[in-house]
Amino acid sequence: MLTDELKIEIYRMMYLAQTWEQRLLRLLDDGLVSGFYHAGRGHEALEVASMVALRDDDYLLYDHRGCAHMLAKRMSMVSLFGDFLGNDKGSTKGLGAGIVHIADPDHGVLGQSGTLGGGHVLAAGVGLSIKLRKTDQVVVNFFGDGAANRGTFHEGANVAGAWKLPVIYIVQNNGWAISTPQSQVTAIESFAERAAGYGMAGVSIDGMDPFLVYETMAEAVERARGGGGPTLLEGRVVRFRGHYEGDPGTYRSKEELAAGKDLDPVVRTRLRLLEDGLRTEEELDRLQHDVDAEIEAALEEALTGTVPGRERLSEGLYV
Amino acid sequence: MTTTPTVRKLSYSRAINEALAEELARDERVFIMGQDVGAFGGAFGVTRGLHARFGGERVIDTPISEMFLVGGGVGAAITGLRPVVEMQYADFLWNAGDEIVGKMSKWRYMHGGLFTVPMVLRLPEGAAGGAGPEHSTCPEAALLAAAGSYIVIPSTPYDAKGLLKSAIRDDNPVAYFEHKGMYGLKGEVPEEEYTIPLGQADLKRVGDDVSIITWGRMVHRALEAAETAAADGISVEVLDLRCLRPLDVAAIVATVEKTGRVIISHEAGKTGGGGGEIAAIIAEECITSLEAPVRRICGIETPVPQSTHLEQYVVPTAEDLGAAITDIARY
Repeated sequence: MLTDELKIEIYRMMYLAQTWEQRLLRLLDDGLVSGFYHAGRGHEALEVASMVALRDDDYLLYDHRGCAHMLAKRMSMVSLFGDFLGNDKGSTKGLGAGIVHIADPDHGVLGQSGTLGGGHVLAAGVGLSIKLRKTDQVVVNFFGDGAANRGTFHEGANVAGAWKLPVIYIVQNNGWAISTPQSQVTAIESFAERAAGYGMAGVSIDGMDPFLVYETMAEAVERARGGGGPTLLEGRVVRFRGHYEGDPGTYRSKEELAAGKDLDPVVRTRLRLLEDGLRTEEELDRLQHDVDAEIEAALEEALTGTVPGRERLSEGLYV
Repeated sequence: MTTTPTVRKLSYSRAINEALAEELARDERVFIMGQDVGAFGGAFGVTRGLHARFGGERVIDTPISEMFLVGGGVGAAITGLRPVVEMQYADFLWNAGDEIVGKMSKWRYMHGGLFTVPMVLRLPEGAAGGAGPEHSTCPEAALLAAAGSYIVIPSTPYDAKGLLKSAIRDDNPVAYFEHKGMYGLKGEVPEEEYTIPLGQADLKRVGDDVSIITWGRMVHRALEAAETAAADGISVEVLDLRCLRPLDVAAIVATVEKTGRVIISHEAGKTGGGGGEIAAIIAEECITSLEAPVRRICGIETPVPQSTHLEQYVVPTAEDLGAAITDIARY
């Protein structure tokens, strides 16, 4: 159930994800991290609220769109910064992570397939593992409308449906596969329509509304834990920035982008909390101030890390 | 009166089956999945009886979905299980190329060593019985570039069982190539439990004049050629590499330094079939020990034809090896 406390927590984490990313982009401007970053601004509601509906021992295969899902899955901010900085504070101990390949097994963060859509089949395997081990965990696999078209989706979704695996496929549909609009490469309007073909539940929602995301996700999680099988959850979202930092964005009209930005989930959720009287301006300001301080402290610690030498290359390939 | 205990004989196929059964019984995290591996017993009967004994949750029939088979295996392996995945034919590794090279081989490394990927990919390979161009290849060398995965190619029932048990117990991903043409081959397999460490080549025959470095089914043709050569007074050593990774470089160097005359033989085509890599290692490590140029006796470089009549000409014979032995011994 979506309690008032959960609403506050969702807002806090969305604000954290947004602010964390702003801080990362400043590091990028300073030349401290690479431009292979795919900003998640605009996607916070879908990534955060869905993760808040999970337990610590549930699994996440994230996608490259920002880091809100990882942060909401309690991935350490020091590790995240360290991975971007390519130093030994990172989860990969300096392998350098751009945005892919950050992991945290203790919080179920299993990593990411660098080839888009590679996670579709891994997720089905994780679902099978959960079923064979007879736990009530679930696994969530994030991907965009672009990666929704990989053949791996067919193979993963087919077994997930056939064997009623506890997999939740979340497609972050922002309508653009880099520069290619969805309408140009798919005949359908909603990817949720595809779910029926795999015998799984399919639902398409406004992914800019975090409370709706939470409620929808909670249903999918309950279904998965109870043996009811997988869900394909489409969240319709807006990508506020380019596909990557430096993307000229010439393919999208200014009007479309401006209209999308009016739906800012972080701004609108703050207003909702105020309107509903859940918190006062002062309380939310204090919450944000605390988050800002938390981020700065994490960054400060991450910056003390050391970039490893050549010997790091050969570590961890084999057991 | 004392009797010498006779070691029982098992086929290559039964030896693999026994390894699977023993590991399924030993470790509840081990499970098998693949196309028709359940009650049907696998396309080549290798998993026969395992479904009845261990049930449908340990021996799982899957759809025709190679990307899922391998990628799903990785997902299960990083979350606490030890999958043994059967690809119906080794040739299908290309259908799961990214899952093998990008996921199975790299997941651990690219995620900072935070996971292990303890899975085995069983890959029935080789030209046998006219299966045609897309079901007859020996693609093990293709995985030489997939650092992160081991490559095992057993040549006897004894090796097949011992190496498979080690592969299943290893925390690294292992691609295990079993030659379809050897499923019926019988050999001694002790009743007692044993394993064979990965990465140790095996001298299948000791000799002084010529070395044949080989693996997989070609080991047997090399042994046949060595026997024939012995009658002509040429002493041939046959080194079965058994694994292309970990590769037993010390064993390669030792045999080269001993005989100075080397033939490298594999069933895959000469270009890209793995022999070139062995020759390069010899050039790097012990070229001054060579008394003659290295010879490669390998499969011809065409697709494998469907016709069994033509198929027999694709794979080198003992006679081909015999001619090379005579030639190199005289050099």
